[in-house]
Amino acid sequence: MTKLKFLFSLRDQLSGLPEEELEERISFYSEMIEDRMEDGLSEEEAVAEIGSVEEVASQIISDIPLSKIALEKIQPKRQLKMWEILLLALGAPVWLPLLISAVAVIFSVYVVLWSVIISLWAVFGSVIACAFAGIVSGIGFMIGANGLTGAAMVAAGIVCAGLSIFLFYGCMAATNGTIRLAKILMLGIKKCFIRKVDTQ
Amino acid sequence: MDIQLKRGLLDVCVLAAIKNEDSYGYKIIKDMKPYIELSESTLYTILKRLEAANMLTVRTAEHGGRLRKYYRITNKGLKRIEDFQREWSEILSIYKFVTKEDNRHDEA
Repeated sequence: MTKLKFLFSLRDQLSGLPEEELEERISFYSEMIEDRMEDGLSEEEAVAEIGSVEEVASQIISDIPLSKIALEKIQPKRQLKMWEILLLALGAPVWLPLLISAVAVIFSVYVVLWSVIISLWAVFGSVIACAFAGIVSGIGFMIGANGLTGAAMVAAGIVCAGLSIFLFYGCMAATNGTIRLAKILMLGIKKCFIRKVDTQ
Repeated sequence: MDIQLKRGLLDVCVLAAIKNEDSYGYKIIKDMKPYIELSESTLYTILKRLEAANMLTVRTAEHGGRLRKYYRITNKGLKRIEDFQREWSEILSIYKFVTKEDNRHDEA
């Protein structure tokens, strides 16, 4: 890929970003490619070393906070005419609740994801508590001459302890998975904002 | 490597790359290559962060018919490197102690 094609493609993918940020990053990458070429690499090699357009675009997008991207999207690009302002104000009872519900939906998705994780850890916590309770009261029973019952309880407690070890690894895996999922979600949301500008 | 740890380390690495003389983007990556891999996007973020923290300054100069950004370390940046060296010489002596302890057990 040539340098111009790379930069053009990159600019296209990031077209929804704030102008200033965009220009600065494009010139940064342009400079990088030029420097590599000066070092002896061919244009193709220099561009290839930077990475694919998709990778670079995703990295840049995840770097910029969602607030900046959202703000840029809702800034009016030109002076609004009187009737447009009026229409916007009159239509508020319609689009404002919609906007609020959209934000609420995104928020609830996050809440749901994390409640699953919290409940998994709660199960882990209760299994540990059962293990502890089983062993302690079991010993108590054994001392109090309820030998068989006591032994059974201790055994149950040990089983719970073993279970909790499995649960621990399961919970850690689920937590890490959710963190990664949340990151992918955030990237997807940001990309939605950026994409929409193209269709206008 | 732990992500937070890596981020802090990369910051200091970049500062070290510009410690003795002004440097520019690609040269920083090249200088660091024998020690640690750095991608363009990561470097951009680090440079922006260091600039915001006043640990370096940026200037644009002409080079071979195009513009190039040069980065210069500030006193605050130099201090960051000193702090880093102090922290890590402590960690290094602890490391020596820990590995020495293991060696003695092997000999026994």
